[in-house]
Amino acid sequence: MDFRRIGEVTWELAPEGGMRVPGRVFASASLFAKAEADQALRQVANVAHLPGIVEASFAMPDIHWGYGFPIGGVAATDVAAGGVVSPGGVGFDICCGVRLLASALREEDFRRRRVDIMGELDARIPRGLGKGAVAAKRLLDEVLERGAAAAVEAGFGVPHDLERCEERGTSAGADPGAVSARARERGSGQLGSLGAGNHFLEVQVVDRVEDPGAAEAFGLAPGMVTVMIHCGSRGLGHQVCTDYLADMGRAMNRHGISVPDRQLACVPVLSKEGEAYLGAMAAAANFAWANRHVLAHATREAVAAALGTSPAKTGMELVFDVAHNLAKVEEHRVGRYSRRLCVHRKGATRAFGPGHPALPPGLRDWGQPVLIPGSMGTASWVLRGLAGNPAFATAAHGAGRVMSRSAAKKTRGGREVMHDLEAEGITVRPGSVSLLAEEAPFAYKDVDAVVDVCARAGLAAPVARLRPIGVVKG
Amino acid sequence: MSRYRILSHTADTGIVAVGATLEEVFENAAFGMFDLMFDLSLVPPEEECHVEVEGDDPAELLVAWLSALLTEADIRGLAFCRFRLEGLRSCCLSGGAAGSAAARLILRGPPIKAVTYHGLAVEETPEGWAARVIFDV
Repeated sequence: MDFRRIGEVTWELAPEGGMRVPGRVFASASLFAKAEADQALRQVANVAHLPGIVEASFAMPDIHWGYGFPIGGVAATDVAAGGVVSPGGVGFDICCGVRLLASALREEDFRRRRVDIMGELDARIPRGLGKGAVAAKRLLDEVLERGAAAAVEAGFGVPHDLERCEERGTSAGADPGAVSARARERGSGQLGSLGAGNHFLEVQVVDRVEDPGAAEAFGLAPGMVTVMIHCGSRGLGHQVCTDYLADMGRAMNRHGISVPDRQLACVPVLSKEGEAYLGAMAAAANFAWANRHVLAHATREAVAAALGTSPAKTGMELVFDVAHNLAKVEEHRVGRYSRRLCVHRKGATRAFGPGHPALPPGLRDWGQPVLIPGSMGTASWVLRGLAGNPAFATAAHGAGRVMSRSAAKKTRGGREVMHDLEAEGITVRPGSVSLLAEEAPFAYKDVDAVVDVCARAGLAAPVARLRPIGVVKG
Repeated sequence: MSRYRILSHTADTGIVAVGATLEEVFENAAFGMFDLMFDLSLVPPEEECHVEVEGDDPAELLVAWLSALLTEADIRGLAFCRFRLEGLRSCCLSGGAAGSAAARLILRGPPIKAVTYHGLAVEETPEGWAARVIFDV
């Protein structure tokens, strides 16, 4: 494909065939070469076919091959101009995201109580398949309607946690009635569960601060122990996406839309089917916000139990909670005019800059915290949103895979990966040792390189680097 | 001949299932999907389920069949090991599966979240039928 380098870290594909806008990828030469190795760039071009798409089909520096959209794909469609919503641009794990907790602990405190803390986390964080959940089934209706706010009312976490959640932990426009009975059945026993695969709970330490002012505002300091939780809407979200994708094949025909990949099925935002999907998607997002919230509560209780203190005394304040699989209607400038756009972020993080009215007062001067998890054994990053972001206020969401799961397993076994991590001082509590190999650090790109491109492209600015010291996985 | 082979995909995972008939390839695709997650030789067929789905063509029917089995497995907390197609027509199919509790099994691959349409194909081959499908994990 004829991508041309148009800037230090920007590559562009001019529209060809049915593409309505260019494809634009933010990457260094070495990250771009990795994206060329599979079908990710073809997927950038495919997304550019979506009706109503404006400016470009973007891809973040952690781009890799997905299904329909590339992972790291961003597409904004103009709602008033027939712009579409595509469930594939959100993905099956609706509102999958990352939550970061600060703490009053230093690394040496963790090292002293490592076995107790990891043991309590191991016991209290449900993960894997069919292993139960923290919260009761009866909360489901309230959670679908109001997300993390409903979890707070039920006694999980504290009200001021909500200040530090994207959307305050509640997606507007949720329509629980648009969620199928099957989706509810799948979700009812999974509220407060991690899942497996690339989802994790990680204990980390702040090992470098790049922006002391922002770090202080976010509640981070050098040497502080943090906990990062990565998970989403579990079976409920998977079923919502499955249900609506099945219907959208026929709906697309009714609207006279054709796309190059069935997984990109889409309908106008302003259509009966589009509104139903967005209502169900927001309800599933509410499940995800609440799921991370409940797991954070269980984390506070686990650490408190290990230390023989109360959760309040652990100092485990919420730094922020971000989604990286979601579509949202937002106002953005396109050319000279402000437009209502349906911004799809598939494996990409919203990154509002300083002064944005959606940010809580304590963060408004600094921009939105952007959380970029690495893989086990490698660093994670906290960044902040910047004014003038060139991709509808979006930044990367992770390191991005570079090696298939089967290739990773052939490279090193799960037990070997566990020993490697322990040798680096990282305590691992896996649900399945075999799965560790698939998520090994060598299966991912260099997260530091991804963050470097984010900074150079003006997507987000680095604030602090977090080094893993404990991993809980499904 | 093996019932399926694994397709390489950077982030997710996929299979090509084969069979002498369209019915057999559907059953083998279901076997492959659960075999990626569990060692099915260790799973006894203790509990059964029945599904009925609709679709406009064989590929849509395949996604609907596999999706329905994933949903049943997730809701009931089961790993399925045996699959039986009872009626396959151009518009719909019915079939069953049997398996046992997933919670007591060790995952050998990541849980499959969903069945995608990306790169989906159901084709007649000189040997019979083949189905290519990619899963979100």
